[in-house]
Amino acid sequence: MNKIEIQNVSYTYSKGTPFQMVALNDVSVAFEKGKITGLIGHTGSGKSTLVHMLNGLYRPTSGRILLDGQDIWEKPKEISKIRYRVGLVMQYPEYQLFDDTVRLDIGFGPRNQGLSEQEVEERVKEAAEFVGIDDEMLEKSPFELSGGQKRRVAIAGIIAMRPEVLVLDEPAAGLDPRGRREILGGLVRYVERNDATVILVSHSMEDMALYCDNVVVMSHSQVYRSGTVREIFSDADVLADIGLDVPAVAKIASALRHEGIELEGELYTVEGVKRAIIEYIGRSGK
Amino acid sequence: MITDMTLGQFFPGKSVIHRLDPRTKLILTIVFIVATFLASNPVTFLLLTVCTVALVMASGISLGTILKGIKPIIFILIFTAILNVFLTGGVGEPLVAFWIIKIYKEGIIRAVFMALRILILIVGTSTLLTYTTSPIALTDGIESLLSPLKKIKVPVHTFAMMMTIALRFIPTLVEETEKIMNAQKSRGADFSSGGLIKKAKALIPILIPLFVSAFKRADELATAMECRCYRGDKNRTKLVKLSYKGRDALWFVLSALFIGGVIVLGFVAGYMPEELASTNLFRIMFYPI
Repeated sequence: MNKIEIQNVSYTYSKGTPFQMVALNDVSVAFEKGKITGLIGHTGSGKSTLVHMLNGLYRPTSGRILLDGQDIWEKPKEISKIRYRVGLVMQYPEYQLFDDTVRLDIGFGPRNQGLSEQEVEERVKEAAEFVGIDDEMLEKSPFELSGGQKRRVAIAGIIAMRPEVLVLDEPAAGLDPRGRREILGGLVRYVERNDATVILVSHSMEDMALYCDNVVVMSHSQVYRSGTVREIFSDADVLADIGLDVPAVAKIASALRHEGIELEGELYTVEGVKRAIIEYIGRSGK
Repeated sequence: MITDMTLGQFFPGKSVIHRLDPRTKLILTIVFIVATFLASNPVTFLLLTVCTVALVMASGISLGTILKGIKPIIFILIFTAILNVFLTGGVGEPLVAFWIIKIYKEGIIRAVFMALRILILIVGTSTLLTYTTSPIALTDGIESLLSPLKKIKVPVHTFAMMMTIALRFIPTLVEETEKIMNAQKSRGADFSSGGLIKKAKALIPILIPLFVSAFKRADELATAMECRCYRGDKNRTKLVKLSYKGRDALWFVLSALFIGGVIVLGFVAGYMPEELASTNLFRIMFYPI
């Protein structure tokens, strides 16, 4: 089932000035409920613009955005309600922290939603747990934290609103491998527990292969390809055509197949390729 | 959206005015401002209007952009005009007399002139200067024009560098503000409803991150400049040296003719001294524009 559907959406920045720029050109794409969909593409391919549209920060120049089959711009005055349902974590979200303590900052969203203090407290605890923030850190000022910790706090600030759709614009950019694993792992748990839909913008093909169910590839303000991770990553040449990479391990698998070695299975994760090779060796009896 | 504001923005282009030396444009702008204040009768205003229209056409800036730039000052225009209509006294019979309100012919004429003056001032100076001159060229021009002051130990270069940096970072800060606003909107922040105090409070989630990042940015910029051995004015050379060309001379002649025309036409029509002598609060207020 489709949770969010984008129909023929176009967006032009600064229309009618010399700075006019088309960011999205007749884009149609759907995001499945309860799945993690990865969004990849070059810088300037329209990913961030698309992401800003999903929770109504930008209004499409033309076209519609449907959330559960309903146009989010049907009642423009109630667009803020859409923002509670579709949570957006921006690029480098640590810039948005402002409150005295981490606890208050994470509670900013839920408090705006009009929840009681007790509920806010519950949400803060739950969100902190998803991203790996301990009780001690909750009492600190967000400004004395390290970059990676700030990132977690900012993401928790969105998760605390318990959105049905969680959109993240490069949540792991600039983090160390452990930070990446913890934050992205937290997302998977969030999806499982709340039957949420996640849209993840990333440049890391490895992360895509590990955490996503579906992938949407964008190029030159349009959707270039969309499908399951397997469909997209099994064909290295298609992505190479627009200058994108597949995961390194998928390249190895593809090279092996070119050599006439018939591998089968999930040929885009290290685990999957390992299994396929072992299976191949067993099959060919070498 | 904030980024839609056009007043004070630079629009790259290759028109006659774009290609003028920034110093020429600065001097022409001063001449233009003086001329606007010297204008006092229908004939001079006609000359001013014609010249402004010619300037806009020569600059190749679209009419839409100009109109967009006027939008933020429309309220000031109307406000000034209305005050002038009601507060200007006159000789002879008032046109309308009702309770304490008296409207004279002079008041209406004055209101029209005043509104036209502000309009011409804004459109003319922005076309001549901000729309068609890049901020860098502008500060280079100012530094060069003020350089005689160096002899009396005024740190002209430092001021120019400060101005360059300030101008350069306006778009960055605007972008940053928009980014932070969007982030807080995504967390359900509401900037438009509620009373004055509530609205002011709603700004806290924007102002704090904005200040934090502005300070951080300033610090990083200073470090980056030091890394490249920036020591201010001393022994510093310029990549693009300013030089006057033939067309600059042509524009100086044109502007001399222009201001001469305004003065002569003003005297021909007569009531210039009275107009010059009258002090008007709004004229003083808007002088810096």
